[in-house]
This record gives sequence, structure tokens and C-alpha cells, in this order.
Amino acid sequence: MLVPPHGGRLIDRQCEGSEAEKIINQVRDGILLTLNAREKNDLEMIGNGAMSPLEGFMSRADYETVIDLMHLVAGPVWSLPVVFSQKDGDPDVSPGDHVGLKDIEGTIWGDMQIEEVFKADLLAEADKILGTTDDSHPGVMYLKSISGKYIGGKIRSIRRRETESFQNYRLDPKETRVLFRARGWKTAVAFQTRNPIHRAHEYIQKCAMEIVDGLLLHPLVGETQEGDIPADVRMRCYEEILKDYYPSSRVAMSVFPAAMRYAGPKEAVFHALLRKNYGCSHFIVGRDHAGVGNFYGTYDAQMIFEQFDPDELGIVPLKFEHAFYCSKCGGMATPKTCAHDSEHHVFLSGKKVRSMLKDGILPPPEFTRPEIAEILMEAARKGDN
Amino acid sequence: MKGLVIWIRTAEGSDESILDKLGRDIEERGGRVEVFHSEAVENLGMEKNDRAKAIACAMLASHGVVVIASGTEKPGINPGEKLEIRIIEESDLRHSDTHDGFMRDLELAGLVPPPKYDVHPDEEKEILKKLQDLGYLEE
Repeated sequence: MLVPPHGGRLIDRQCEGSEAEKIINQVRDGILLTLNAREKNDLEMIGNGAMSPLEGFMSRADYETVIDLMHLVAGPVWSLPVVFSQKDGDPDVSPGDHVGLKDIEGTIWGDMQIEEVFKADLLAEADKILGTTDDSHPGVMYLKSISGKYIGGKIRSIRRRETESFQNYRLDPKETRVLFRARGWKTAVAFQTRNPIHRAHEYIQKCAMEIVDGLLLHPLVGETQEGDIPADVRMRCYEEILKDYYPSSRVAMSVFPAAMRYAGPKEAVFHALLRKNYGCSHFIVGRDHAGVGNFYGTYDAQMIFEQFDPDELGIVPLKFEHAFYCSKCGGMATPKTCAHDSEHHVFLSGKKVRSMLKDGILPPPEFTRPEIAEILMEAARKGDN
Repeated sequence: MKGLVIWIRTAEGSDESILDKLGRDIEERGGRVEVFHSEAVENLGMEKNDRAKAIACAMLASHGVVVIASGTEKPGINPGEKLEIRIIEESDLRHSDTHDGFMRDLELAGLVPPPKYDVHPDEEKEILKKLQDLGYLEE
């Protein structure tokens, strides 16, 4: 039996076809509120159950409890606010209003039954969630770009498959659950990534695969910051490596349509809980997971899990050190398993790799498989990374 | 799982079938449940009053069982380390919205198991077809 969804059941507030048409007809001539890119990602993930037990954007009580205590009012662990902000130019709304939710182009993506409109202290939110109010943190910049007025209420989301990127890799939580069962997996480990795959990632994934039935490769394809490797390049890398280096019956790849918050440790918990909804029993947490710059300690995203009772999390974090090729060991290793000095280790920073690729130099095969390096080199030539 | 007393506030002499229905709901989810009818108090040779009934329910529930009982008064017992108490009006349980909301709150608090299926079996068939079409599963 797979792990149960967070909060017990998968929320399904996603509509298609005639049901979606009905929503559009109900709201198109009424009040329409504007979603920004992050909120659009969140709407999709509330609707498809990835954010279960959330059924909508948070009202004040949940917002405050999450910020202060990392739990929802009803009890389950929850580490990040999922909120909808009032936009300049949008009409004022009140509790009880039924509104449509549109993107900046005017396409309707769902509706919301408004329960509460409330003012939030965004600097306090930044401090408690991101651990900083420094403008150079992208999460702080985001909070400074929105109004301090949040609108909470239950939503329904509209699925428009024809507009989706990576259509063949779009699996909702109920779909990954059915997939795992059909393959006979009782346990699965999720690997979250916003980077291309290097040998170190492959090593960590394969170590994790030794103790579970299957691996869900779950690259994040929602909004990221400038400078991150584009999702299509990362996906090409994964497609390539899956051809020859992984047993196909033990791996599934699907995209994770969440936006990055760069909230470090709290986002690591959030990422784990969402993967639990996808049916995963384990979640790989690397060093500085969901971090940015030097805002978080190397192991903060691993240590935060110790604050919770394992039963209330319901998913096991697998904490990994950074991996490297050791010429003395003659294989991949980590500081936990290698007895040799760093001079024997092949390890390159992301910055160094980008610079090598830009200069037309392939990273060593002990660091990146040549097939992957070729894809990255081509992307660098085209200016994609 | 923590023990739970679900105390349903009813009118005097009310039909207790609602207790059985709720008990079946929780049992179908795999919960360990005991429905404590009013007559059980008499059968146990106890004084027939809500307070005595509530104390008996609390003792039973503290062993990790969900105990459902009803009374015209509040139960007059307190939650503890091993015991949660939830009180609901009978009229609220008879409306599907408030009934579902009540059960959902219990689920979220980890006091009753969730429904057995994460995906309904009918929907599962459609999903299997989609997974085959996408190449995740062989036909």
C-alpha cells in the first residue's frame, strides 16, 4: 500500500471539458482577479491535489499558523504560505464573492469562493519563512513586488492540456499513484531538481533506489529565477540519461509544475509533503535544498526535518552529502564513504561548469556523462544557460 | 491513533441509528470503533446518566478506539494525552455538508482513518489507459 496523501485524502478541484466551460460561463462577466506566475502554478497544484489538504488559497488563520508554527489550523504539517495577493487595478472583493481567476493575458484558469480578505505583514513573512529581509533574496524581492493584501478561499482550477509544456510528462498525483501501484511499487523515492543531471545526482538517486521500489524523477518546471538552467534543457538531459543508465521499470519521470520560492529548509519540507501526495514514501534532500546564494546553512534543509514527528510528516527524508568521483576509490563517493583527500576528488561548482561549457570545454566524464555534456554544450552555444 | 470520543448531542429519547451509521462509516475506513448505545449503560449496571456514560466512553477510547455515544448534555469529560473528544449536534450530522466537514476535520487531525481509496476504482481504469498511451505502462 502506498503512503496516504497528506491529510488523508487527495483533493480534486480540477475541472476539464464541460465542467470547465461551466465555470468560465459563470465567472466571465463577473469579477475577475489576476493571477501572477507563482499563483498560477499554485492554483494548478491545489486543483490537482499536489497541495492536499489545501482546497484553496489560505485564509488568515492558516496563513498565520503556517508562518508561526509550520502547521495548518486543522493539524497537518505545512511549511509555506500558499496565498493569493490583491493586484493593482483588480476590483476590491469581499467575503462571499465568487470570482474568476485569470492570468495577465485574460485567460480564465479557475474560480474562488472568497472567505476572507486580510492584510499581511510581508516583511514579517519574509523574515519567518525565508529567514531574511535582504533584497538580494529572490523570495524577498517577490514579496516586495506584491500588495500586502491577501484573498483566501476555496478554488477550482481549469486544466487546459493544449497549452501545457511537457505534455507527455504531466502526471497529477492520482496518476503517479496509479502508476506506482500498476508497477507494483509500494515505496518510491522522489528526486526534486532544478539542475541538469551530473554524475553526483545519478549516484545519489541510485543509492536511494537501492532501498525503495522505484524512483520518481520530478524536475521542477514552474517559475524559476533567471540564471537557472531552462526546464527543456534539463528535461533533454534526463531523457538522454534514462535511455541507457537506468532500469526503465524502476524509474518514472514526470514534471513538477511548482514555482520555486528559494525558501531553503521550509521549502524542502514543502517539497517533501507535495511528493507524499504524489505517492512517494521517501524524498531526497541534498545539501542546501531550495537554497539561493549564501542565505542558508549547508545542512539547514536536512536538519529542519528533525523538528517533526516522523508520523506527522509521513514521508522519509533521505539526507545526502555532496557526491564526487574519487580517483583513489575509483568510483563515486561522498565524505561519508571516502577516506581520501579532496585532491583525489573530481568536483566542479555549477559556476565553473557553466564557464567551461561557454568556452566549449566538456566537463570530465567523471563529473558529467558525455551525452549530457553535449546537450549542455549545445544549450550554452545557443545561449540557453 | 489517539483515542476519540464522538459525542453526539441529541434530543431526549432520540433515535440512535445515527450512531450506528457513523460507526459503519469509520469501520469501513478501517477504524477501530465502538458504538456505545444508551442501553449499554444499563446493561453494565451503571446509573443511567450522560456523565456515567461519558466516563465509560473515555475509558474505552483511551485504548486507541473511536467511541461514539450520544447524550442530551455535554459529556463533562476532558481530553487528555491519549484522548480527544469531539462534540457535534445530531442535526449537523444529518446534513451531508456538515457531516462531511466533521469527518474531514477528524481525518486532518489524524483521529479517524481517511477513506480507503486515494483514487476511485472507476477513475483508476481511465488513468491506466492514459498511462499506457503515454508509454508509462505496457498495453
